[in-house]
Amino acid sequence: MSIARNAAVCAVSIITFATSFAASAADFDWKKFQGKTVTFLANNNPVSQAILGYKDEFEKLTGIKLKVDTYQEQQMRQRLVTVMNARSDEVDVFMTLPSREGEQFAAAGWYSDLSGMLKNTAPNYDAGGLSQALLKAANFGGKLTSVPLNIEGPILYYRTDIFQKCSVAPPKTIADVEAAAKKIKSCDSSVTPFVSRGLKPAVAYTFSNVLHNMGGTYVLNGKSDLCSAKGKKALETYSGLLRDYGPPGVVNYSFYQISALYRSGRAAMAFESSNELRTVMEGGERLKDTSLMPFPAGDAGSVPTAIGWGMAVSAFSKQPDVAWYFVQWASSPEIQKKVALQGIAAPRPAVAQDHEFRRWLDEQPVRKEWQAALDVLATKGSSEVGYPIVANPESREFIGQAVQDLILKQKSVEQACADADKALDGLIAQK
Amino acid sequence: MIPLSRSEPTLSDAWAARINTLLLLVAGLLIMTPTVWMVLSSFKPSFEVTAYPPKILFSPTLENYAQLTKTTPFLSFALNSLIVTAGSTGIGLLFGIPAAFAVSWTRISWPALLALAARMAPGTLFLLPWYVMFRQVGLIGSYTALILSHAVITMPIAIWVLLPSFDNIPRSVYEAAQVDGCSLTRILLRIALPLVGSGIAVAAILCFVFSWNYFLFALVLSNGDTKTLIAAAFNFVGEGSTQWGALMAAATLIALPPLLLAAVVQRWLVAGLTLGAVKG
Amino acid sequence: MSITAAKATLATRSGVGAEIDRSRVEIVALSAPAILFTAGMIAFPVIYTVWLGFHSFSSTGQQRFVGTANYARLVNDGEFWHGLWVTLALYVLSLAMQLVLGIWLAVLLFNAKRIHGLVRSLFISPFMMPPVVAGMMWLVILDPSLGAANYILQSLGLPPSDWLASPTWVIPTIAVIDTWQWAPYVALIVLGGLQSLPPSVYEAAQIDGASAFRIFRRITLPLLMPTIVTATILRSVDLLRFFDIIYITTQGGPGNASNTLNIYGFRVGFEFFNIGYASALMLTLTAIVFGAVLALNRLRRAVAW
Repeated sequence: MSIARNAAVCAVSIITFATSFAASAADFDWKKFQGKTVTFLANNNPVSQAILGYKDEFEKLTGIKLKVDTYQEQQMRQRLVTVMNARSDEVDVFMTLPSREGEQFAAAGWYSDLSGMLKNTAPNYDAGGLSQALLKAANFGGKLTSVPLNIEGPILYYRTDIFQKCSVAPPKTIADVEAAAKKIKSCDSSVTPFVSRGLKPAVAYTFSNVLHNMGGTYVLNGKSDLCSAKGKKALETYSGLLRDYGPPGVVNYSFYQISALYRSGRAAMAFESSNELRTVMEGGERLKDTSLMPFPAGDAGSVPTAIGWGMAVSAFSKQPDVAWYFVQWASSPEIQKKVALQGIAAPRPAVAQDHEFRRWLDEQPVRKEWQAALDVLATKGSSEVGYPIVANPESREFIGQAVQDLILKQKSVEQACADADKALDGLIAQK
Repeated sequence: MIPLSRSEPTLSDAWAARINTLLLLVAGLLIMTPTVWMVLSSFKPSFEVTAYPPKILFSPTLENYAQLTKTTPFLSFALNSLIVTAGSTGIGLLFGIPAAFAVSWTRISWPALLALAARMAPGTLFLLPWYVMFRQVGLIGSYTALILSHAVITMPIAIWVLLPSFDNIPRSVYEAAQVDGCSLTRILLRIALPLVGSGIAVAAILCFVFSWNYFLFALVLSNGDTKTLIAAAFNFVGEGSTQWGALMAAATLIALPPLLLAAVVQRWLVAGLTLGAVKG
Repeated sequence: MSITAAKATLATRSGVGAEIDRSRVEIVALSAPAILFTAGMIAFPVIYTVWLGFHSFSSTGQQRFVGTANYARLVNDGEFWHGLWVTLALYVLSLAMQLVLGIWLAVLLFNAKRIHGLVRSLFISPFMMPPVVAGMMWLVILDPSLGAANYILQSLGLPPSDWLASPTWVIPTIAVIDTWQWAPYVALIVLGGLQSLPPSVYEAAQIDGASAFRIFRRITLPLLMPTIVTATILRSVDLLRFFDIIYITTQGGPGNASNTLNIYGFRVGFEFFNIGYASALMLTLTAIVFGAVLALNRLRRAVAW
């Protein structure tokens, strides 16, 4: 990116900042709700933890006391479901994953509509600067259910040194991935050519990317479409990669085993979440020999999976306006920028262009590649992980089951996709 | 094998003792190796925990423990756990001992079965109703709610562990007291209780351990101030933030109090209580 | 030397009837706190769950009364029957291993009277480990590529195993993990029982010159039966509701090879939001456990002396 363009972008943001400041400076008071308490149910995802690192700043700025409860992701969901089922006002703000539970929670009426609140923000909030794609993904039934806090998705980590040793070029298509895996397998038997998720509930995350790249869809004309030609091919490709080139026991693999395997140098290619960058780089062994890219294109091009965690306000909260202050502070450009320097990919394109952030990226080549991959995710990404229905979590089970059946050679492709389709049609029909 | 007591120890006795020790060593190895691995791992940097081949020799570091105390209010969580566990163990024993005695005395089982009913249902069955219940009386996040819910776990254990201990006391022991017209409570306190020391020791250890390690209820009934240690341990596992080293360090620290309690209470277990009153 | 002769050396029991009449009030007073406490805590949850089980919940939270439809669905649900099979297989396998190894360990510890208290506690320490830690630990140890288990196997020249990732071996593997953790628990309970055995019984046997093994088989074991049955009951209620290790490691997989009823009910309720059906599943599981406990309690009464 040239200096001139940099300067131009900086100039534009300053002008935007100045005008919006002038427009609503008079209306907005950070200390309006001084003395109140906001309860935030957080998970231990890097996003929320990074934001909570600046908790004191928030309390100083607004005079609002922040009560935080942090739990591991699944535990947090369990607690949230219990609190929401009881229609309790205990939780004001919570972390949510629209791609998974957005439709489910929205149908249950657990989200407060934030679209109105987006218009009533602090001067330099820049609501327009938020990723439009992610905002759209958080929109259910015309209501904005959460404000995006980060962008993440599965990307392909690969070992440049092994590729060089085995004379393999970085893959440009899915067929290249298969060819590369095959070549690496015969070239170096001590390393696992390819590793990705095989654990039943976790498969959908990575599989969706492969399906979309190949032009497949989950739902077509109201029916489950896994048995279409493209669907079957995607199932075969993904499960084939894991079955033939994956580690033993891959059916239990989720992010911690994948990261551990890759980090310890035992895998040539790892298709796993962008969030795992920090874990993979721990100890520094993989810093110099790793490259990153979005999953190579298939027949339908590159449609990477891009999701994001969001912050939502509970529909049962007795003080949504106070809660909104915390949400907008957390998703504001300055906090997002600070958090980005810790390796969280912001959902604000402006942050990605920021000077300080660029400098941080320049420190390590692998970081630049990571951001470049995420830029692709931001522009071309689809947040469809599993079926776009209320019963999304349950749909992931059946997708995972089909993939596992194929990895374990327990069913033929025809059988696996037929069984999955049958169950999924039932889910789609559920109202 | 039991007992080995004869007037003079013979050669076969000595051999039996040696075999016993050998078997114990093998058993000990199998039992403790994973635990030892866990403790050793807590002194390794995070990424070495999952290194392959498994590293036996490594340079120990205290960074995991440092990180633990720095990033989480570990001590306050430990205190919360201690309060909840002590409370629930106390209630478990306080209510459980008399109940076990009553069941043993009358040979009527249903109170013991009722107490166990709470452990027959999956824990998740209680989550929503208890949340609603305690929310109504404003007790969410209080120690009371946690202690009460954990007592539902500990009390059946206390009762059922003490039942056979009380059953083992022959009736003749009570005869003298009954002739004297002693009340049941006195019989329990003066006669029965001293005789079931080992049972109480076991019950205390088990109540403590079960309550200490139980996370499900704390997940829903506690808040940031009263969160227990075990609920906090889960936080070290997550996408983008799995910290094996810190998890192992947390695990080692969490396992210490029950271990210490067991070591202390062992005395009552091994004291060799004589049932002097029953000879004959 | 027979068991009846041994029992004869113990004092006979007095009639029960007289005691009950006299101390009825006291009995009630002694057991009331436990009964009232339990009833108070579980009454609402049980009633609420039963009520939920008779309703169906749409995704928008609306409920309608459906009578026994959830239970009818349960009977026809292949996942339920499969879950029942997994639960029972795991139960029988684990219980058998835990009882045998636990009793054996207790005997070993009992005979080694002079080992230090701390060492003895280390022997019983596995069950003091929190389930989440045990799960994560075994997940690493048993990882086919990263774990020490296969490393050791291969060093000994044996073929590696998929352990938890194998549909055939996942249940036995989980049973072994559970045994590692809970056999010491059984040992602790049995140890407590061994402590309270009256030595006078053995003296008579000694005079007869019976061998140590015969003494164990004919006298010790039958006298230990009440304690052993207690340990069985306590393990049964936990084993039939097997959840923690599976939740951490396989999440019911591969496929649904380790999908116990508790795991299934949990997912139906907390992830698929089907509270009505989940309630029916949980109550059915509770009934199964209750049935098992009732049967075992009869056994306990039968072996009581």
